[in-house]
Amino acid sequence: MDRVAFSSWNGKIVDNRKGNVSKTSKSADIKFPEMSGGEKATALMGWNGLVAMNKKADILSLTLNYLKEIRKISCGECSVCMIGIDKLMDMFELMIEGFGDKEILDEMEKIVREVSANAKCAFGQSALFPILDAIKHYKSDFISLMKGEKKIEDREYSTVVTAPCIEACPAGLDIPGYIELIRNNKFGDSLNLIREDCILPGVVGRVCTHPCEEACVRKDIDEPLAIRLLKKAAADFDLQNGASSLGTPASEKEENVAIIGAGPAGLAAAYNLRSIGYGVTIFESLPRAGGMAAAGIPEYRLPSDILNHEINLIKRMGVEIKLNVQVDELDFGKLQKQGYKAVFVAVGAHQGKNMGVKGEDQECEGFVDGVEFLRDLNLGKKIESRKKVIIIGGGDVAIDCARSCVRLGFKDVEIVYRRSRTEMPAREEEIEGSEEEGVTIKYLTAPVEILVKDGKFKSARCVRMKLGKPDESGRKRPVPVKGSEFTIDADMIIAAIGQSPALPVVKNKKKLGSTAWGTIKADPETYMTNIKGIFAGGDCVTGPATLIEALNAGNEVAKSIDCYIQGNHFDGRVSFTDVDLTKHRGQAFISKSAVNNVSFLDKRKRTGDFAEIEGGFDKSQAMNEAQRCLRCYRVVVWQKAV
Amino acid sequence: MVNIVIDGRKVKAKDGSTILENARDLKLDIPTLCHHDDLSPFGACRLCTVEVKTNGKWQLATSCNTAVENGMEIKTNSSKALESRKMAAELLYYKYPETEAVREIAEKVGVDVFEEKGEEHDCILCGLCVRACREIVGVSALTFQDRGPGRDLEDPQIEFDPNSCIGCGACAYVCPTGYVKMEAEDDKRIIWNKVFKMTPCKVCGRYFAPEDQLRYISKTTGVPFNNLTTCMSCR
Repeated sequence: MDRVAFSSWNGKIVDNRKGNVSKTSKSADIKFPEMSGGEKATALMGWNGLVAMNKKADILSLTLNYLKEIRKISCGECSVCMIGIDKLMDMFELMIEGFGDKEILDEMEKIVREVSANAKCAFGQSALFPILDAIKHYKSDFISLMKGEKKIEDREYSTVVTAPCIEACPAGLDIPGYIELIRNNKFGDSLNLIREDCILPGVVGRVCTHPCEEACVRKDIDEPLAIRLLKKAAADFDLQNGASSLGTPASEKEENVAIIGAGPAGLAAAYNLRSIGYGVTIFESLPRAGGMAAAGIPEYRLPSDILNHEINLIKRMGVEIKLNVQVDELDFGKLQKQGYKAVFVAVGAHQGKNMGVKGEDQECEGFVDGVEFLRDLNLGKKIESRKKVIIIGGGDVAIDCARSCVRLGFKDVEIVYRRSRTEMPAREEEIEGSEEEGVTIKYLTAPVEILVKDGKFKSARCVRMKLGKPDESGRKRPVPVKGSEFTIDADMIIAAIGQSPALPVVKNKKKLGSTAWGTIKADPETYMTNIKGIFAGGDCVTGPATLIEALNAGNEVAKSIDCYIQGNHFDGRVSFTDVDLTKHRGQAFISKSAVNNVSFLDKRKRTGDFAEIEGGFDKSQAMNEAQRCLRCYRVVVWQKAV
Repeated sequence: MVNIVIDGRKVKAKDGSTILENARDLKLDIPTLCHHDDLSPFGACRLCTVEVKTNGKWQLATSCNTAVENGMEIKTNSSKALESRKMAAELLYYKYPETEAVREIAEKVGVDVFEEKGEEHDCILCGLCVRACREIVGVSALTFQDRGPGRDLEDPQIEFDPNSCIGCGACAYVCPTGYVKMEAEDDKRIIWNKVFKMTPCKVCGRYFAPEDQLRYISKTTGVPFNNLTTCMSCR
């Protein structure tokens, strides 16, 4: 890290200015936030401190600008924070006019300390703290200002507002913002805010893996906010009250964009491109739009009505979705002639991986692939229940298959997984849910051979495993135990050990760049592939990942495609990687508050029925839950290099 | 029940009760502007701050919305708590110098207040009206304007939804500063600039309630409208 002139980041003082001897190290070894696109700053002020890169930093104007920015986030709901900031700004104005003395600085310090100790939310408790550092370590600047010896310099600034939950969210939703709107009984406004970054709120509100909740600061006090369920509440409340529609583009653009795949990535890209006026056509190979959300997530987790409603809203904006169009060969030249300036490939990862066991390649009845099984089920193909089914794999697809089999009426549903429970990639709540429904899990077991009789699956020859040293994924590698082979008889076997994309062949001089894992190579920021004008994102680039990650790729690619078509430079998001957003230097007491729970469908009603399991918050419950949010907004203001 | 210590006195407190409830049971004087016993706590005015010891550390906490925990130690009049209240009041007085309710409480906690009586009735965003409207009346005609990235408001205010308001006047009743005004004029009531038609009592003829309110009561209780048009004194 570069040597800095001064840093109080995270409360650690580094001072390399002339005449000051650094008490610790020459550089601030704690990572502080940096501007996007590698742009240089002379100084920054944020919730966690003040950093001056060099002598050119003007701390006075930085402090004033920082105050102006935090004033915009201060909600005014508690008496100390917003009025405190107002008073500090008024005092600043006095100093600029040449009034004041050392006492005014003492008074400012007192306000900062009292507001930080007594503000209602985590924003108020933390935001003012760096002002103390400025007053304390750049006191002579403030005194010169009052004496008229120094002026506030005219500098350029860049500001970012984030929060631990926002950073944890792949799509960077303004989580404290939409929670606040729910708290204030503005469910409609909340949904509009969610839709800015998440165009499938009812879907994501049901199936998101919610990394935001893992990052929630309340986690260390009592329980994290039920953020996913609050999103669901905003979406469902809208549906129950007549269902709002999405806005139409303010103006139309001449250019068109083609999207291959109507999954979350394709839909999000389509919505974002359409809302700024592009003509958008999506080509979808399946008879239903939604990608994995339509073909991979069972009805009991995501009712198709919810998904269809949200897709219909996007269609009503003018996005054309052509179903049953399999794009095996992508002829960009032809598309360009049809007026498409760019193509977004978002075909997902819908091809089941082979298990690599003996007898796997023989066609037989009763042996299916996990994603194919779920796809058939969701697309309405009749699946007859039999007595026993075994499912190979430990991920979410395996669990979805198992729980679907319970609903189809299979008497004995067993998951066979080669590692132990700790290594299982499926989410804990899903594993528990499956066990509640009677699914059994055989750990440390792997199939070695598929046995077929008269064209029908008969049994799987398995071997016991033990855990060895961790592999590249960090999980312990399973090693077969010699001589432990045994046979499991069953009427059906489902292999759910992972998926990979089926990539279209691009008709071009250059071959579409791909990786060793069979995914498309795309620039991580611009999403552009090695072929100019062809973009790719979602599962077909990342491999099987979460819905919200794919949706984010769609959001970002839309911005990137817009920049590409209009000939502008695309700036990615500011990265807060390795910057600790949870800690701040304020010290106020946060009292515990109980989490609000939702009800679940009675276990006895789950067999033979695909009804949605999880209930939702009613209005009061949602508002009460929203009340628990600590509002951990973190503001950073950079003073740009001159 | 949980055991707590307030100002050195050992107290058995109800589970889930707040520090403020327990302190007031002990007749300890803690100032508040945004609190009402019948409404959920809100923690807006920051005047009820006390010092709380948990995990061996003393910290400031607003007593109205802090639930007691077993073993909690509380100081309601420590110098830190008093300083904090004074700063909260000073800031309120800084923003609303002419509002009498603010001046009174500021003076009470030791802020130097000018002698002339305040003539203004500012909204101090205490949220009592919003909570009364939702929790007691059940119509939610009042809401806070929200803040956040990109939603830059100079002065956040309370928003009024005329379509939901039934003109009951609960907001005016709980408002501590007189910002919410309710005016009566013969068969009219004016509140939040909305004019309501009053209903006369079918016995004494006195205009006693807005028609919208009676219709709302009729709708929520199932009692026919005509059975509600007798005033309390004539019933």
